[in-house]
Amino acid sequence: MRGHGFLSAQYVPGASPLHRSPLWLKFLLVLVCGMASFLVADWAVAAVVLALLCAVFLGTGAGGRRLFRAVRPVLPVLAMVGLFQWWQLGGPTAARIVLNILVCVVAASILTVSTPVQALLDGVASLARPFRRLGADPERFALTIAVMLRSIPFIAGAYADVRDSARARGLDRNPRALVLPVFITTVAFARQTGEALAARGLGETGPED
Amino acid sequence: MNYTSQPGGGASPAQTPGPAAPAAAGPDAPAATQSAAMPTAAQAATPGTGAPSAATAARPRRWDATDLGLIAVFAALIAVSALIAAIPVGGLGVPITLQTLAVMLTGLALGPGRAFAAVGLYLLLGFAGLPIFSGGRSGLGVLAGPSAGYIFGFLLTATALGALTVVVLRRTRAGSGKVRAVLLFCAAMVSSIIFVHGLGILGMAVNAKLSFSAAFLADLAFYPGDVLKNILAVTIALALHKAFPDLLLRRIRRADGAA
Repeated sequence: MRGHGFLSAQYVPGASPLHRSPLWLKFLLVLVCGMASFLVADWAVAAVVLALLCAVFLGTGAGGRRLFRAVRPVLPVLAMVGLFQWWQLGGPTAARIVLNILVCVVAASILTVSTPVQALLDGVASLARPFRRLGADPERFALTIAVMLRSIPFIAGAYADVRDSARARGLDRNPRALVLPVFITTVAFARQTGEALAARGLGETGPED
Repeated sequence: MNYTSQPGGGASPAQTPGPAAPAAAGPDAPAATQSAAMPTAAQAATPGTGAPSAATAARPRRWDATDLGLIAVFAALIAVSALIAAIPVGGLGVPITLQTLAVMLTGLALGPGRAFAAVGLYLLLGFAGLPIFSGGRSGLGVLAGPSAGYIFGFLLTATALGALTVVVLRRTRAGSGKVRAVLLFCAAMVSSIIFVHGLGILGMAVNAKLSFSAAFLADLAFYPGDVLKNILAVTIALALHKAFPDLLLRRIRRADGAA
């Protein structure tokens, strides 16, 4: 986590139709799947949709291992929910619930696997544009996103450093010694970043305000 | 990593880096040279860019570059805290995850507006597909999962706790450290029970179709860790406000002075 590598780990470069389709279309796909998961009442339909989405995912050329990696984080919780609901509501309903959640997860990972992180972030930054009339400032918004991404490796490093030094002092069971220095460092870092931005005339309110 | 003045492993708030004092003096300096009747207006304007327009004076102050830095870095802090391994607490070594701790501290340290922005930024980038939700999850698929309610709960909790923190800091005197600590702890518990647990239960009921009683029982497992985390969060928040008095305390005092 000390580098930026993990942030772009999901994107698989390619030239499939999905890679070339615009961001809003893929976003719409995710949205429709999310809505559908509340409406689909039959587990067989949900299974068909899931199979379709998996086919689309594999169509991007990302491969089955990527698909499994996208789904893996939710599997333990889904197993628990599935077993509990099987006991409570019976097999078909439990299958429907679990499959619907999987549909949403796969649909969302189709978006991230076929879109570069930069394009996704540009998409997020452009969300502020319609609110310009209400006082939102898209450039300040994009700048804040950039500062956040840049801070992640620094803070991960701070956690590691503090953990090492707490261990050296025999305090690796003391949550205060493990966490407080990280927060002090973080706030100091944030303010130094703010001062660095201000010194360059970035992030301040523009003359049109 | 060109920042050399970090207090690294030392836990002492006395080791705070130098720029704290000039940063605090910065917004005040133009207030003295400009119209003395409107200290908040001078604060809203960037130092040295001339007199603020009437529009800025009428509106509540906008965030300056330091505020943007705080929002961005606290969003990053929440992201990292969600990803790193849980830390052991106490003699039994019960592991607690740090994400809720970071969320509560965002509220306690930044106040309602900036805490809302920081947690909102974190959520937005997570939904956009960065793997920054706990367990490295990401994307809108999280919204379909059973933990969706907790994720939205974070946003409301940080905001509510920020608002309560401002009230507590305003109503208690600086000398009364213990009273402050107890009140802040109560504020943290109330806001996490109402929003994190409330929305968490709702999320499990909607997404995993659990009955409310089953969701309530599943949610109970988080309470012991929450109490520990809130105690830890309050002690850290008080140390933070001691180390950086202009993080929130002086802002409140300035606002009170202007009112």
